[in-house]
Amino acid sequence: MKWTGDLAHFPYPFKDSTYRYSNNSIPMKQPFCIEVTPSYKKEMLLKRKLLSDHPERCYQSLPHSITGQWEIVELLIDHLISQYPQHFSVEKENNSWIFFNKILDEKVEFIFGDENSLSCEPLFFISHHVQEDLIYMRQRDDDLYLDAGQLCFPANWSLAFNIGMKFKNIHHPIPGFKEEGLDQRILQFLMRLEAGTPWERLNWSLMAGDRLDTSLETFDQWGKLRKHVTRENAGELVHIRVEVQKLFRLPRTNSILFSIHTHLLSLEQLSTNREWLQQFYEILSELHAHIVEYKGISHYKASLMHYLEEQLERVKAT
Amino acid sequence: MYKESTLSVQISSIVQETEHVKRFTLEIAKGKQLPRFSGGSHISTYLETPKGLLVRQYSLTSHPDDCSHYEIAVRLSEASKGGSRIWHQSMKVGDHLQISYPKNHFPLSFKARHHVFYAAGIGITPFISMMQELRDKGQTFELHYASKSKQYCSFYEFITQHYSEQSHFYFSEDNHRIPTLFLENHLVGTHVYFCGPETFIEHFVKAAKDLGYPKKSVHQERFSPPQLKRVKPFKVSLKSGNEIWVDEKQSMLDALLQHGLNVPYSCKVGRCGTCELPVITGDIDHFDFFLSEDQQNAQNCILPCVSRAKSDKLVMEIK
Repeated sequence: MKWTGDLAHFPYPFKDSTYRYSNNSIPMKQPFCIEVTPSYKKEMLLKRKLLSDHPERCYQSLPHSITGQWEIVELLIDHLISQYPQHFSVEKENNSWIFFNKILDEKVEFIFGDENSLSCEPLFFISHHVQEDLIYMRQRDDDLYLDAGQLCFPANWSLAFNIGMKFKNIHHPIPGFKEEGLDQRILQFLMRLEAGTPWERLNWSLMAGDRLDTSLETFDQWGKLRKHVTRENAGELVHIRVEVQKLFRLPRTNSILFSIHTHLLSLEQLSTNREWLQQFYEILSELHAHIVEYKGISHYKASLMHYLEEQLERVKAT
Repeated sequence: MYKESTLSVQISSIVQETEHVKRFTLEIAKGKQLPRFSGGSHISTYLETPKGLLVRQYSLTSHPDDCSHYEIAVRLSEASKGGSRIWHQSMKVGDHLQISYPKNHFPLSFKARHHVFYAAGIGITPFISMMQELRDKGQTFELHYASKSKQYCSFYEFITQHYSEQSHFYFSEDNHRIPTLFLENHLVGTHVYFCGPETFIEHFVKAAKDLGYPKKSVHQERFSPPQLKRVKPFKVSLKSGNEIWVDEKQSMLDALLQHGLNVPYSCKVGRCGTCELPVITGDIDHFDFFLSEDQQNAQNCILPCVSRAKSDKLVMEIK
């Protein structure tokens, strides 16, 4: 099955011809934490299968996150119905809610705030209706903790490993993040996030293959593809993976919702845009070795550069 | 100029709570909902005046889960620069205004085993929603509340009705004051919260410190910027070469904004960190509650809403 998205909707992540780690967050123009793309049905099918087959890998929560989970349900339903009224609606009578998902032809009745009225936790329920992965960071005693999350499409990390961890501990593996003091600044930035002013950022990496579920737990299945990249197959095999990450302050629990929408594009498709091809080549050419390593590119960087050079020559010739 | 996103509300009722305090109920348009909030939250209110926009912060005293209306309590301050005076003298039922989304710079501790609130005067307001939240969660707390007299005591009826077991009142008219001695008797794991006039907060914070309370177990909410003790004018030198004069009566942030600089800001009391700016050279006098001690000592950034220069000039990295 192909997960590659279409070119027109692809959130191309680069502005300059160099790339460094930074807090590249910007205030959102359209304050919605979810997006329904043409691959909604296909992705929901995959997501639901993962959630049911591997719940421990895809879903984690601490008991004190329930109020925050309801807050996420309220925010997501509000955003779904206001942005996609043709696809989603809700009927509320006091705390009795009936949620309609018209794309999947489903109706869910529950009592808002009453956990027993759903067959699962509130975050688990709403996860079945959005393409995004949803991470709940609770602000407690001047730090942020990962207190609940639904993660089906991770870029090589493990929710089960990170549950309950502090922000800085979660980001410990990023090279240079701590040394440059970025972890502290971003933590402070997150803790001063305010309701009503959501932010978004794009994160990117490269991968061999087109799997959305690249969890740390399944590395044995997808990691080995890195060794199969050649200059001949790089265009088809290597994909740029872009995460649209959105940050919302949840005022009821003074916490943060971090939503991640993952998009994949083969380099073949990326190369059809001349400017992107040129810029992406320049970025990879001068990318620091520790970032190349962290983003998992080192195994096949040489083949990749050959492929991109060929593409650039082809473009110049036409 | 930087402006945060706001909500449009209408005043639906005004209640004279005490001689100096009025309670205002703010409603959002029919069919819309106000955001829920956490205990200790406040809003900024935007008041249109002939002299321009006045931004004032007030704690929310309504129920955190009530999405139909908010309530604030405003004390008419004698030293009012206009905010509380306008609320008391000009605002009427039916008036429309803009408010911020709820923010919380005074959150309840998550790890506390017991919460003790010390309030003086209008400093009671953040504790109203905090007590509600703790009650909903089934956690323990107590309130020590100092006021001039029963008659001047805001929320007296409400508190005695809902939290009589947890609450203790101290009326100065009867020569009752809250002894700082109380701090000695709280069990380990107790977090203490102070809100009221500057002198009240300072007095209790010092007592807690002297007793060896961990810094993170002591919480305080200030309604006004901290009192500046060494205020003097200074110059700010920008990357463009321009220099801006900050006189002793204004904040550096206000001076920068007046000169058309696009500095984002929010709380204006040194809490939220939004207005942080990099400093190249100059001695900074930090008055904020946002930067860590290490960050303050590094002398390379400033929160211009409250902090100033010790030296005659600050050279800034901004254009």
